Amino acid sequence: MIEIKFVLNNKPCALNVEANERLLDVLRNRLGLMGTKEGCGEGECGACTVIIDGKTVNSCLVLAPQVDGCQITTIEGVGNRQSPHPVQKAFVQVGAVQCGFCTPGMVLSAKNLLDKNPQPNDKEIGVAMSGNLCRCTGYDKILRAVKLAAEEGKG
Amino acid sequence: MKKRGIGIGCAWYGTGYGNGFPDVSSAFVEIHDDGSATVLTGAVDVGQGSNSIYAQIAAEELGLESQDICVYSADTDVTPDSGTTAATRQTYNTGNAVLKAVRQAKSRLLDYAAREFSCPTIEGIELKAGYIGIKGDPSRRMPLADMVFKARLHGQRLISAESSTARSTPVDLETGQGAPYWPYAFGSQMAEVEVDTETGMVSVLKVVAVHDVGKAINPTQVEAQIAGGVAQGLGYALLEELELQEGRIKNPALSSYLIPTALDVPNIEAFFVEEAEETGPFGAKGLGEPAMLPTVAAVINAIDDAVGVRITSLPATPEKILHALAVKKEELAKK
Amino acid sequence: MNTTVVGSRVLREDAWGKVFGQTKFPADVNLPDQIYGVVVRSPYPHARVREISITQAMEMPGVVAVLSAKDVPHNSHGVLFRDQPVLADYIRMVGDPVAVVGAETLEIARAAAKLVQVDYELMPAVFDPEEAMLPEVLPLHPELCPTNILYHMPIRRGAMDKGWALADVVIEQDYRTQHIDHAFLQPEALLAYVDERGHMVVQTATQYAHYDRGEIAHALGLRFSQVQVKTLAVGGAFGGREDISLQIIAALMALKTLRPVKMENTREESFYSHSKRHPMRMHYKTGASKDGKLVAMEAKIIGDAGAYASWSINVLRKSAVHATGPYEIPNVSIDSYAVFTNNPFSGAMRGFGAAQTVLAYESQMDLLAKELKISPLEIRLRNHFRVGSTTATGQVLTSSVPLDQCLAKIAPYLQKGEDT
Repeated sequence: MIEIKFVLNNKPCALNVEANERLLDVLRNRLGLMGTKEGCGEGECGACTVIIDGKTVNSCLVLAPQVDGCQITTIEGVGNRQSPHPVQKAFVQVGAVQCGFCTPGMVLSAKNLLDKNPQPNDKEIGVAMSGNLCRCTGYDKILRAVKLAAEEGKG
Repeated sequence: MKKRGIGIGCAWYGTGYGNGFPDVSSAFVEIHDDGSATVLTGAVDVGQGSNSIYAQIAAEELGLESQDICVYSADTDVTPDSGTTAATRQTYNTGNAVLKAVRQAKSRLLDYAAREFSCPTIEGIELKAGYIGIKGDPSRRMPLADMVFKARLHGQRLISAESSTARSTPVDLETGQGAPYWPYAFGSQMAEVEVDTETGMVSVLKVVAVHDVGKAINPTQVEAQIAGGVAQGLGYALLEELELQEGRIKNPALSSYLIPTALDVPNIEAFFVEEAEETGPFGAKGLGEPAMLPTVAAVINAIDDAVGVRITSLPATPEKILHALAVKKEELAKK
Repeated sequence: MNTTVVGSRVLREDAWGKVFGQTKFPADVNLPDQIYGVVVRSPYPHARVREISITQAMEMPGVVAVLSAKDVPHNSHGVLFRDQPVLADYIRMVGDPVAVVGAETLEIARAAAKLVQVDYELMPAVFDPEEAMLPEVLPLHPELCPTNILYHMPIRRGAMDKGWALADVVIEQDYRTQHIDHAFLQPEALLAYVDERGHMVVQTATQYAHYDRGEIAHALGLRFSQVQVKTLAVGGAFGGREDISLQIIAALMALKTLRPVKMENTREESFYSHSKRHPMRMHYKTGASKDGKLVAMEAKIIGDAGAYASWSINVLRKSAVHATGPYEIPNVSIDSYAVFTNNPFSGAMRGFGAAQTVLAYESQMDLLAKELKISPLEIRLRNHFRVGSTTATGQVLTSSVPLDQCLAKIAPYLQKGEDT
């Protein structure tokens, strides 16, 4: 067991983890944060996206000891019913949500893009969202939602 | 060289189980004291949004807003059987069952209200914007909740159970003649592609999709359903193939079985045509499956338009396109 | 009809829970004291199971139970025919479930699954549907049909000789489509347990909870009233959650151990535990008169049903009925076949047999247009269904056939950019 400390959704967190434990399993099984989904287990689908130190990462490919000292944001740390994040609001308004399994990862990728680049062009949005697979929406409304969130951010 | 081409695809789709198989949906409805209502149905919302369609149907019929309706679905201890979420049947079939059930629960309220308003027929009563009252006399109305509450005090219970069955008959076994499905849904799409003659790569630049939905109960969901269908159609046309070797799947992973990403999907313009289907709820028919059908054809026809080769086996991989281009070149040389 | 809520862009109530990550999919629910189930699948496409040795697996600390065919009260399920085993002792495809291991942790269950020893008697397998149709090939389901031809649907309309006589141009071409997977984002998962009422509760993602309930009840010998299937959020389906995948296996484990059972497919397991889109081979011959009217069409469609019937009959029926495309053709002869092979089983997938034929009939339309020197749009305008049209099955389309409106909306977009 290895002791790790990190900041999770703005709260300090300390845990003893196995050397080979995936961050995804720590989040889901130990911390009960079920918003991070597992769709493939090999870093292809992006359903397990989290933000670590300002970068979107597939948490199925990260070993828990690697996040010692890191800042982690999961979907549970982004907005709520009282104050949804602009990306969350836009996803709902535009109709970018169907089955919803990819949605948390999509929201995090979009949020991180807009944090870095508040006015992305279409190409930049496409590239930023291309690590997250969706089988329902054809991405059309998702990309529109990201654009809308960026526009809302202007004001 | 990168060559552009456009292609059209048209398709049709008989919705429902078909061929005389009993295609039945059911729903339970209860109108509550405060005028809100609950709809119970077995229809699974697999993500396409059927629950919210039922809320709209029920709200429309009761003169309420969508958020006044609670839709709970697909729990066998609670909800009635509404058949499978497949065959493009849930908006149409379960939508019809929900509408029938709402109307049945509402009819008891109308009976009661007609007496309250001294109106000899329920035809004279309307539910609108949260109120119940006399058609054509806005001065004689009361909040729906008050009427429901009164009715319930007098022992009325505004509950219902209804089913709806789609039409369909078996076809003749020898000739295939008969009327196996109803209704049919139609659609056509165009694709513009760019084919790289050096690499055989196809980029889809644009898809315009127009689908017949009878009535778009929720235009946002219609557009979303179309875009999703187009993306699956693109995957089918260009990317996806399960590689089998002696029955074993060689690519059982999303790293080797490729589905479209946000970068593979072009700008999709989704339109719909509304020509009411008289047997559908508010004229609606299903869209789920038809949305993906024309895409394959539009893309394959566009490839031919771009580089003059006919791809006859899916997916249209760069290898197949390069091979077809080479064969074509050889044939031209012979001539 | 004037409507206010119907036809409006109402926001989906469920979208909020999904953007906040609150929505519960079956992988997201757990119960105290649950065990984990892992399935042992056949690596062979056609075999008999001679013997299963579970001793080694059971000796592993943390293993609670290992179950196989002999433990299933009624070992079958299926949407049209109950031709698919819950746990197989006769293997018809790679990936057929042979045993299930229940253990205290997922890691132990996975490790123990590797220790289950299965002795297979290998049998000759057939993967090519046309080869499988030959009478000398061993039938995979003799109880359903004497050969591997599960289904043949003929459509006969008009008179072919008359039709071909009217044809000024004829296009004859073979088309093929591939096996594809639904690749819904959420792999199969579920939680099964016997609750305080003594009822079997299965929380899962399915397309049809009531069907699942019936199949679970049948296989385990329970009353419908004792089985609850509760659908949690479904992470995409597209036809791939029509057939039973893990539902009965998990319920069986829960019944035998009286412990809650959690099961979750990896992506690879998911590929093996649901149906595929039918690959089809389609031979088309279509004729048109010089005024651009379709006059005759012949098609032979062979669909690879794979190892189990699933919805194959309905799928190949749909292929046949839709084989003309949305066009009036007075003389039609169509033969559609569903054929068993030892490939992964084919079943429902968005488009359901009508998706494959689009490739063929719409390619034929463009090829005919080229021969006739008219545009692809024009040939479609001259032949498409209208109200009052008769389909190849003789059905009259009595209302709501707005293909003309669809094409009218598409027409202005039929322009392309420059080559580069």
